[in-house]
Amino acid sequence: MSEAIIRVEHLTHIYAAKNDSLLRKTALLDINLEIEQGSCAAIIGVTGSGKSTLVQHFNGLLRPTEGNVIVHGISTTDKSQDIAKLRRRVGMLFQYPEAQLFERTVYADVSFGPKRLGLGRHEVRMRVLRALDLVGLPHEAFARRNPFELSGGQKRRVALAGVLAMSPSILVLDEPTVGLDADGRDEFYSYLRRIQQEQHVTILLVSHDMAEVAALADQLFVLSDGQLVMQGTPRSIFAQGEQLREYGLAAPPLSELLALLRKRGMHIPEDVFTLDDAVAALLESHKIPGKGV
Amino acid sequence: MIDIQHVSYSYPIQQGQRGEVQRVRALNDISLSILQGEYAAVLGHNGSGKSTLARQCNALLLPDEGRILVDGLDTRERSHWRAIRETVGMIFQNPDNQIIATVVEDDVAWALTVRGLPAPLIRERVEEAMQAVGIAYLRGRAPNTLSGGQRQRLAIAGVLALRPRCIIADEATAQLDPLSRQEIVHLLHTLHERFGLTILHVTHLLEEAALARRILVMEHGAIVMDGAPEDIFADLQRLRDLKLIIPEPIELASRLRRSGIPIAPGALAVESLARELMP
Repeated sequence: MSEAIIRVEHLTHIYAAKNDSLLRKTALLDINLEIEQGSCAAIIGVTGSGKSTLVQHFNGLLRPTEGNVIVHGISTTDKSQDIAKLRRRVGMLFQYPEAQLFERTVYADVSFGPKRLGLGRHEVRMRVLRALDLVGLPHEAFARRNPFELSGGQKRRVALAGVLAMSPSILVLDEPTVGLDADGRDEFYSYLRRIQQEQHVTILLVSHDMAEVAALADQLFVLSDGQLVMQGTPRSIFAQGEQLREYGLAAPPLSELLALLRKRGMHIPEDVFTLDDAVAALLESHKIPGKGV
Repeated sequence: MIDIQHVSYSYPIQQGQRGEVQRVRALNDISLSILQGEYAAVLGHNGSGKSTLARQCNALLLPDEGRILVDGLDTRERSHWRAIRETVGMIFQNPDNQIIATVVEDDVAWALTVRGLPAPLIRERVEEAMQAVGIAYLRGRAPNTLSGGQRQRLAIAGVLALRPRCIIADEATAQLDPLSRQEIVHLLHTLHERFGLTILHVTHLLEEAALARRILVMEHGAIVMDGAPEDIFADLQRLRDLKLIIPEPIELASRLRRSGIPIAPGALAVESLARELMP
């Protein structure tokens, strides 16, 4: 578990219009980070903070202007390396991925990627069926259905299956549950956790939904203005609500409430983070006279 | 202000090779009045019919059955559309669909210019609208250089410049980051308080509804709950059954109450909850 699957060393990325130095924009500046194999990491930051630029380095869609990005031991800086091989191992799911569905049946849509890898028919079939089962769309019931007749949450899982059928070892998800209702969101989370555990896939979330990040991620990286400004566990990051606000972010509402209570003088331990912990801590403080009410 | 009487509506959907038209029912015999100066939130999960209802209120969609009166004007009457849309302004999920000009100031002025209003009047209204949403300092910027929250403010200013008496925000915060989202919710609240605008805020997020004075919850094209926030939030199980996400602080308050800690039912925002728990 402790091996870094992604290592970023002094990464700087500058977008430059050809022959026009005025239009140079430093999107990332001297980023250093490591992501452990099999973990779930989240990259958070406001629009324009550099999140998308950073993750596009992980499958070689972008190359560093300076520094190094090493994924699976492959350096994306090195132009002689086989980027195509890397892309097969890093699956990317962008925002509103259901918009990219296009085939007439769920089976055809999910098999599109593996077919293009030049795999045999049998192998393609195996992968599609496994991917559909993994995202909770049993192939017996769903393979022949028209993807456009499914619910929003189901469509999104078809898109996820399409990426999983490529057998990636790293899965990058950009705002995966935006626009889903409570049920759709919870289902999506539970399938992600299952994929992480059963397939040992490393998951990278790009998100500004703090509740989502709190529910899934082991490690957070906060970007602001192209720089890595905070990193740590959700517990430790969300305890620093004031600092998050400086970067235009808000801690999840529960962490905000606990921070307000501490400010008002209530004693709540710093490591209280989940709803259950908070209920217990508040009941405790109300039992002790003079400390609570 | 808006009087909805037994309204039903179905979307036409083309199906199959021969293109036979099927209809999917989105609104089912809805009756409802929104009063002048009210601040109401319409809640519901994806596909509950809330956006369809919003679009009916300024004649973007027309009822199959029943009727809607906006300020006494029937939305089915084509000659009323202009007046209805000047009374009821709409803001959508994606501000970019509402932004036209290449400079902030010009964009706010757009709809007024198209209507041929005299220049001094346009200038005055644009200034007021920009002040009201707090983007006056961005007047010379190009909209595409603004953040998502700033662009949504710009879209709101463009609507405000027309001096509507009612604003319908249809999931206007859905594409924003959490801080910008809070800002827009507070802006709607301020517009209601300062200018007495009628606000209809359509959202699937309970925490955004806490500032409203009235909450309507929709399910299967019907209104299933209608009341003050403290009454609506009193039945969390019902809200959960309606596939709404319960904000954790509200869940926390409900669990503490059950354990005998008194918390006022009106305390829904984190600030008021903190005051209740630690006076």
